Amino acid sequence: MRSIRAIYVKQAKDMFKNIPVLVQFIIYPVMALIFTVLVAKPDETIADTMFVSMFSSIFAGMALIFSASGAIAEDRESKSLRFLVMAGVKPHEYLLGVGGVLFTAGSVVSVVFALMGGYAGAGFAKFLGFMLLSCLSSILLGATIGIASKNQQAATALGTPAAMILGFGPMITMFNDTAKKIFSVFYTQQLNIAVSDAHAGVIKPLGVILANIAVLAALFALAYKRKGLRG
Amino acid sequence: MIRMDNVVKRFGEQTVLSGVSFAVGEGEIFGLLGPSGAGKTTIINILTNQLDADGGSHSIGAGPLQTGLMLDEDGLYTRLSCLDNLNVFAGVYGIPRSLSVQALKNVGLEDAAKKPVRTLSKGMRQRLALARAVLHRPKVLFLDEPTGGLDPATARGIHSLILRLRDGGATVFLTTHNMDEAYKLCDSVALLHRGVIVEKGSPAEICTRHGAFKTTPDLEAVFIKLTGVELE
Repeated sequence: MRSIRAIYVKQAKDMFKNIPVLVQFIIYPVMALIFTVLVAKPDETIADTMFVSMFSSIFAGMALIFSASGAIAEDRESKSLRFLVMAGVKPHEYLLGVGGVLFTAGSVVSVVFALMGGYAGAGFAKFLGFMLLSCLSSILLGATIGIASKNQQAATALGTPAAMILGFGPMITMFNDTAKKIFSVFYTQQLNIAVSDAHAGVIKPLGVILANIAVLAALFALAYKRKGLRG
Repeated sequence: MIRMDNVVKRFGEQTVLSGVSFAVGEGEIFGLLGPSGAGKTTIINILTNQLDADGGSHSIGAGPLQTGLMLDEDGLYTRLSCLDNLNVFAGVYGIPRSLSVQALKNVGLEDAAKKPVRTLSKGMRQRLALARAVLHRPKVLFLDEPTGGLDPATARGIHSLILRLRDGGATVFLTTHNMDEAYKLCDSVALLHRGVIVEKGSPAEICTRHGAFKTTPDLEAVFIKLTGVELE
């Protein structure tokens, strides 16, 4: 437990000093706010929550994949991970420490999105629940990419297409029915469906997201078994 | 305290260690000498279980938490301060944070405690890496090229730290290609060439055995005499 705490504190301090990563956690809520105020509010044909649900899906799909894969790949590349392992840190302790910070940051941003969207009561709980499950999915995917990558450059090369598909997928489905069917298997699309319509059912989106988590956890286990965490 | 018996290591077709054997006594400074590519780092990696040997056996008379490590790649968190870097490991080891402050003092970095690592010179980073390696007062310390690329004053400061650690009871295993450094510091050395130990013993014994004594100008001493630059 003390190793998880030490790595959690390290990761949190490091994140606050890592401007490119920090920007990813700020830019999407800011974009949602700008679009809501300048576009959605003046136009009665656009739902007030449209840009909140769109940018929250993009945030869940992109920011956490990039930050999780980048953090792990950086620690591998700089060999700092090797010193942690030599100091007796177990791989799950390292991953819980790093993932815990990203999950906390994702939770805070999710709450900001929920408040911005004016969600309350059960709507607030539904929005937050789906966001947190999606954040968890992205952290798992980002960690898998980070483990599979030799360095940050490789992590970016692998993470960019994954983040583009998952982040922008829900936006593309607004214009194309075939895309809607294809992207419906991804958690970000289900997140978008669940949070953009207050009356949408939760069973199907929840089932798809949980299935995504199961697949991503299996991929993560496979990557970890093959590559390990040696720096 | 540290032992290797007939260790073999291959990378693909290439054999990088061929039957390497040596023993290091408790409280000793042992130097593994050889040019770049001789296999020195591979030996440290095998001894610290970061790499598996293809043959032979090895052991260290200390657990992972009693072992300190300083490698050529320092693995420091560049955005964090010196103190934060040490505090990460103080947290992992479960030791008081006051020891981080003490460790910084020991390597002469107390004034740089709050500086981000990315702003430090190479010598300061080396000293911080050494502070991290000894933070938990390990019984065995592995130092891979601890003074590589450093100016004479900083190197001399690191030498005095290593001697203090030995005097405190630690066993020190260091690699270097600097023969003068090995002669001054080490109680015993092994000479490694292309993965084979070609000679071992105390530096004086080896020099006597090979009649290898000469008087050399000591530029390092002149530099320190003229500039007065010392680590402490």
